[in-house]
Amino acid sequence: MDLSVQQFRSEAEQALLDLYERSVDALPGDASVAALRQSAIWTYAGLGLPHRRVEAWKYTDLRAAIAEIPPLLAESDAPVEDTAFEAALGKAFAQLPAYRVVLVAGAVRTELSDVQGLRDAGVEFGALAQMLESPPEWLMASLDTASACGDDVLIALNTALMTGGVALRLPEGVTLQKPIHLIHLDGADAPGSVYTRNVLVTEDGASATVLESFGTLGRAGVQRNAVTTVSLGAKSAIHHIKLQREALETIHLNAWVANVGADARYNAFQVSMGAALARNQVSVRFVGKDAATDISGATLARGKQHCDTTLVVEHDVPACESRELFKLVLDDEARGVFQGKIVVARDAQKTDGKQMSQALLLSETAEFDSKPELEIYADDVVCGHGATSGQIDEDLLFYLRARGLPEAQARALLIQAFVGETFEALDDEAIGDAFAAVSADWLGAPAE
Amino acid sequence: MPAVEQTVERVKEIDVDKYKYGFSTDIESVRAPKGLSEDIVRFISAKKGEPGWLLDWRLEAYRRWRTMQEPTWAKVHYPKIDFDDLYYYAAPKSTEGPKSLDEVDPELLRTYEKLGIPLKEQEVLAGVQGAPKVAVDAVFDSVSVVTTFKEELAKAGVIFCSISEAVRTHPELVKKYLGSVVPITDNFYATLNSAVFSDGSFVYVPEGVRCPMELSTYFRINAENTGQFERTLIIADKGAYVSYLEGCTAPMRDENQLHAAVVELVALDDAEIKYSTVQNWYPGDAEGKGGVYNFVTKRGDCRGDRSKISWTQVETGSAITWKYPSCILRGHGSRGEFYSIAISNGYQQVDSGTKMIHLGRDTSSRIISKGIAAGFSDNTYRGLVSAHRKATNARNFTCCDSLLIGDKCGAHTVPYIEAKNASATFEHEATTSKISDDQLFYCLSRGLSEEEAVALIVNGFVRDVLQQLPMEFMAETQKLIGISLEGSVG
Repeated sequence: MDLSVQQFRSEAEQALLDLYERSVDALPGDASVAALRQSAIWTYAGLGLPHRRVEAWKYTDLRAAIAEIPPLLAESDAPVEDTAFEAALGKAFAQLPAYRVVLVAGAVRTELSDVQGLRDAGVEFGALAQMLESPPEWLMASLDTASACGDDVLIALNTALMTGGVALRLPEGVTLQKPIHLIHLDGADAPGSVYTRNVLVTEDGASATVLESFGTLGRAGVQRNAVTTVSLGAKSAIHHIKLQREALETIHLNAWVANVGADARYNAFQVSMGAALARNQVSVRFVGKDAATDISGATLARGKQHCDTTLVVEHDVPACESRELFKLVLDDEARGVFQGKIVVARDAQKTDGKQMSQALLLSETAEFDSKPELEIYADDVVCGHGATSGQIDEDLLFYLRARGLPEAQARALLIQAFVGETFEALDDEAIGDAFAAVSADWLGAPAE
Repeated sequence: MPAVEQTVERVKEIDVDKYKYGFSTDIESVRAPKGLSEDIVRFISAKKGEPGWLLDWRLEAYRRWRTMQEPTWAKVHYPKIDFDDLYYYAAPKSTEGPKSLDEVDPELLRTYEKLGIPLKEQEVLAGVQGAPKVAVDAVFDSVSVVTTFKEELAKAGVIFCSISEAVRTHPELVKKYLGSVVPITDNFYATLNSAVFSDGSFVYVPEGVRCPMELSTYFRINAENTGQFERTLIIADKGAYVSYLEGCTAPMRDENQLHAAVVELVALDDAEIKYSTVQNWYPGDAEGKGGVYNFVTKRGDCRGDRSKISWTQVETGSAITWKYPSCILRGHGSRGEFYSIAISNGYQQVDSGTKMIHLGRDTSSRIISKGIAAGFSDNTYRGLVSAHRKATNARNFTCCDSLLIGDKCGAHTVPYIEAKNASATFEHEATTSKISDDQLFYCLSRGLSEEEAVALIVNGFVRDVLQQLPMEFMAETQKLIGISLEGSVG
């Protein structure tokens, strides 16, 4: 294959092409999937890894950050102990009551998962690798959603190399009583790359809470590229929640792409605390009127961690509402990035869009870069964004210390209060409490 | 005078003159041959009798420019400019150093009279009674025609003259500061300007002097197919204060005219510079034909401790505006301010904003930007606020609001916020909305027409910025806002 569109390639960029060529014959999927992969790798070959001069990656230079491309992780059937779940996700999430689906190297570990429970509850469930061999129409439609992201290299690479993940479809009117918990655990032995694609589809009126958690079993460096496409039918609802608590050797690239139908609600919530470099993309497109989305979350970073959250909300139809609130706590030399864009198309009158990002810098050397963006073509709209950056309020600290709290504890309390605001907004109290617990672990302060 | 009366009066005038500065002056001019080459650069330099160092400086810029690419990141669209199809120098023929106003071509004087710019010192700004004196430097195409109140300013020690004159009379100051804020390698248009800049204003306010009057430059493009490249350099020495205003107009022409200016401000310890712009270049006709391309680099350097630079701009003209007046807050405790009203109508495209770069300790900045988009226009605010490692206790407050009038226009906000210092406190807020039906209904029920009501509400929307303008120009600006929005309702 001649892939000579891009003039100059870094070693890692070339290695990705080599990885594709080496793996292509073994990648799952029928001819239609192979065609998607082919076209996606061409997109990548033309663009290369994104770098500073690519506007959407201005603050996260992926080309500079990725030096080597480890081989694709092989499926493994090594046992995973209960203690490993606790170590990877924290006790609260390991024990959270849910329909659990455990993925190692992208493959579903049925002995650790409650697939039967999901099926009994009326959910259509399948491991992606198997389903790609003869993809049903709804799955193909979801794959096309990702392909429509055009020049998004992160997603293109995922399409080209996806080996695992799950496809979930909630038929009309199905409402789940427990959350679905997709647990991604990797990095037990050797370094490796893992490309997973999850597909969520809710038919009209269905609703579910889907929690995706990412953790590390050992300390082997994992390059993760995980994409989830979400498609919401009319009047359906998804609460889509993420915990990223991977080891510091990890590069974590994640994109969620959601199409929201009329009167539907898509709530996304993400907490990032792990990985050396994390990029979290959420893009939501309204395709039916009167729908709503809330995208919120928190980033906790220290050491030399780099965490980038990039959101795009596209109001293509009238009368939709979007809310965004992100909080970042940055210590040591950590760098937090927040980019949020609200696009309101010409016809999307009566749009209501609000966005807020707030950073708390705990050290002199931490850095916060923010780019909240509005692109508006309709006149009957109310849109706004805000961004703040600062350190702990000395007055508040003084107040707490005057009440007898030692400084470290007083600081921890203030930081917890700062990020806690986002957890409290979660509808599911158990998950909110679990986030409060893992963030307390992070702070090294005792939980309440 | 209450704002309401002014507004009503202004709206009455709207029908008669839409772009009332669109006339052209029939005056003989001297031009350099079309196109750009080293010879043209030498020609301009020779025409101005410049010293060797300045010619070398220009040539270095020219060679650098040849290797540069036009920037494409701004949200503006226009056909590619053929830089070899432009005149880079045009001057009214009779202005070979007039000694007094009597020697200036009467046709030119009539032009400025029509524009309402007082060139005779006994006059004050048209239509404003009892206004304080304003010194004016009038730039017509590529040369400065006249500078008023020079003697009175000289008594205070203030140097106010055209930059070509400053090169002759104060070469040490020009050499020291020219290009020290906007280096010749800065960006495509600034580099082009460095190579071919024709004229502009020079201000030096010595230590401890508060400039006794407002200074102002009036830019006028007249000749066809001519690029205007002026260069303004303002230096406020320790403890000095100066307030400066520039105004711009151009005749209506079908072709697009290029205007690529560079403004450099230097404020030393405790100095303050207030720079106000009322930009009303010809915006093009109702179909978007013609108009000025306004690609301007403006930057202020708060070099001294506790210095302050404040930019106020009212942008109503130009087919395309590409302009980011910025402050480098280098001195400890220095302060930068940016107040902007950008109004776009018809097919105008505005991509404007500011950069506040906090380098020193205890620096603070404030950004208030009000964008109003009507017709088929696009109006973008693009700004950067950054605090570097050593900018302890830097503070910024940013507020950018956009107002959309009609459903064929666009308003965009692209702020960049970069905090590399924990003690930096940055606050940013932005909103976009339309004129609320309630406000409109209230005004209509009080007997205002829809257009009057819109003008009134818009004037309220931009009030925060209007208040920052020098008194004498507030009334003028309010009028301008009404005129710019004419035809945007209904």
